[in-house]
Amino acid sequence: MSHGNQDPFRMGFLTAVEDAERGFVGGLLVTNRFGRPLEFQCTAPVKPNRAQQILYGPTLRPFVLGELLGRTLIEKVGVKPHLVLIESEEILDLRLHVPMAVGCLLDKVTDDTTQLALGKHGIGFHPDHLSDRTDLVRHAKAIPADADLREPFERVREALAETVRLGSARTA
Amino acid sequence: MTDGSLRMLDEMIARRAAQQAEMGIPAPHWNLENSGNSLDELLSEVPCKQVSLGLPSQVFSSGLNVALQRWPVVEVESIVAPRPPALLPPWKPHRQKVVTFGITFPEGEAFLTPKPSRESEGAEKNTEEELVSIEPPKPVSLMDDEALAEAKKKLTRLKPPEDALSIEDRLFYLLQPPLQSWLAGQELIMPFEPFPYQYEGIGWLFSKSSALLADEMGLGKTMQTITAIRLLVRSGQVRRVLLVCPKPLLPNWQREFRTWAEELPFVVVEGDGERRRLTWTMPGVPVLIANYESLVRDFAAFGEGEFPKFDLVVLDEAQRIKNRTSRTAETARALPRRRSWALTGTPIENRPEELGALYEFLEVVPPNATPDLRQLQYLSKQFILRRTKNLVMKDMPPRLDRDEYLELLPAQKYAYEKAEKEGVIHLNELGDSISVQHVFELVLRLKQITNFDPLTGESAKLDRLEADMEEIAASGGKAILFSQWTKVLDWLAKPMSKYGALLYHGGVPTKQREPILKQFKEDPDSHIILMSYGTGAVGLNLQFAGYVFLFDRWWNPAIEDQAINRAHRIGCKSQVIVTRFISKDTIEERIDKVLTEKRELFARILGEGDDCNSSLSLNASEIFGLFDLKARSAKGTKSIGPK
Repeated sequence: MSHGNQDPFRMGFLTAVEDAERGFVGGLLVTNRFGRPLEFQCTAPVKPNRAQQILYGPTLRPFVLGELLGRTLIEKVGVKPHLVLIESEEILDLRLHVPMAVGCLLDKVTDDTTQLALGKHGIGFHPDHLSDRTDLVRHAKAIPADADLREPFERVREALAETVRLGSARTA
Repeated sequence: MTDGSLRMLDEMIARRAAQQAEMGIPAPHWNLENSGNSLDELLSEVPCKQVSLGLPSQVFSSGLNVALQRWPVVEVESIVAPRPPALLPPWKPHRQKVVTFGITFPEGEAFLTPKPSRESEGAEKNTEEELVSIEPPKPVSLMDDEALAEAKKKLTRLKPPEDALSIEDRLFYLLQPPLQSWLAGQELIMPFEPFPYQYEGIGWLFSKSSALLADEMGLGKTMQTITAIRLLVRSGQVRRVLLVCPKPLLPNWQREFRTWAEELPFVVVEGDGERRRLTWTMPGVPVLIANYESLVRDFAAFGEGEFPKFDLVVLDEAQRIKNRTSRTAETARALPRRRSWALTGTPIENRPEELGALYEFLEVVPPNATPDLRQLQYLSKQFILRRTKNLVMKDMPPRLDRDEYLELLPAQKYAYEKAEKEGVIHLNELGDSISVQHVFELVLRLKQITNFDPLTGESAKLDRLEADMEEIAASGGKAILFSQWTKVLDWLAKPMSKYGALLYHGGVPTKQREPILKQFKEDPDSHIILMSYGTGAVGLNLQFAGYVFLFDRWWNPAIEDQAINRAHRIGCKSQVIVTRFISKDTIEERIDKVLTEKRELFARILGEGDDCNSSLSLNASEIFGLFDLKARSAKGTKSIGPK
């Protein structure tokens, strides 16, 4: 038997939950190519202050989720993923702040040459970093064709909800 | 200035403004920042237009024009400001510090790359990262496609155990992938797709450090246990597992491990003392399989604290340790381990207190504790998972039970009546010295006569069996026959030889047993296998047999059910016909009546459709009652079933 965490291709699943009182809590789950977890990082709740709300306006959410939470989590995680997957295009700008590929999960696989078919989904990339696609093509074969890449996000959300719940219970 | 003159001035300004408006002159806009020092300079800024100065004389009469030419007196006084006037700093986005928390998952063991299928052997070699072509698990054909698709939609997620309090522990379980995708045939190869209830069982075992899996026989306890062990090894939760089972089941466990965990190495503890000692201490073996007898013997041979430690100890047929003072139970409890699982189809064979011994092994009650009924119920909810066929396998082919009440043949009847009469007289003569053993001996003698007359060899049951077997053999069917006595089985072997009868009982050496089962499965001329309850009732998979005969009755219906479930289990494709031979007007009929009543009573107490959970052997009072005798001892609950 060999050791399992030295997987040739690792993926990160980055998402966040929003708690009305406490703000955003971000989470990053790094898995092997089959979805088995290798490392998980999450943040303490972050609530933008009034100045940030006014000054960032509609860009506040991408800023908090991407630059603030996403970048911090990627910097903190020990097992670095080869590809960080996100669910919303609005935080694709995260790619400008991190050294690894960031892909946005799309529901449909199209013939668009800027996209990459991964599992059951298509992956979109930042327009300034379309070369990421080329780098990932060879890894794409390592992902089972019927892999549901949305499922790990559910796990992360559930874990984040649990941390918020336990955090609330401790402060209560 | 008086109020009156102010009013007049206001009126004058208003009138003038009205006049100017009439003449099209805009009101002056006083720009104080650019203002000069004199009124002329001020006025010079205003766009002007020549107008007649013919002002009403009453303006002059007010004397205000003089006041207008006089400069107001302004006094300047400096004050000390509380702080220097602040300059607004330029705002610039800064990176906020975010507190993070993380967990790293234990490095699990990766299984060896599965062997490529024969078709792909000739094809190009896969690159390191490409997926090896692995056939997906085959669904067991008990559900139609629609039901399977429906079941697939429901993913089984691992839940954190109730006693997991730390956030790390809880997140460990929450972040594991659903079992369906984990076992989808890429990382872990499954030869068959498990049923939804089996996924549930695997997940439950995975997250429990103390667990009693008490599924009814035939629901796949073995497979669920092996798969849960695979997942634990894979996720780095356990590295050394000990599985203890009764000796006759060793080949069965080996076969099941090869089927369900092809890649997981296991070693059976066997051979002479030195070899066994070596096996126990052999490093790097994930799974050790031992039988109860060698475990007890070898554990005693090791010095105190020398016995190797295990991450997980699994006891199969755990009712073996129901007597908590037995050496087996004491040894099982003394094993150094982190997790304890017990498997049994009959968690309670006779009394609810038997669960106490199992809980003691699971380390959920203190030593020698005797939990009351309420505590037992609470513990059962937490640590026992039990499903019955009725609840989970609604689509399984039915099991048809038929009780054949047979009249004894004349010679049998004569022998029986004589033996009973003499026996009862003998018992009465014993008076107060009568014991349950005396009655038990008589029962056994009578039961043997109901099987066949020892003098003439006449047997109503054999006649009936031959008639049935003729039909079964003609249709190519296969039957399993159970008896309590190996002598009866040996006696039956001759008349049944024309149906290719095979013998499988305790007298058959262990090494010969596997080939016998293989022959029974594969040989089309072999239509019947003769088994003893003790050897054949547990752990075997004979679902290809459509008929089961209970030539004589066991004392405990739970054991009979176990025997029947060798054939009526997952994978059986057609109905299973179970025939119980009961000799009319004999001890068999009386025992059957008592057992049926007790089973009904037990089902009423336990409820929830669990009609074959556990049943009660006859106790001393009941055995005396078979001959209208009264138990002489006050200890009326002693079980008299053969050990």
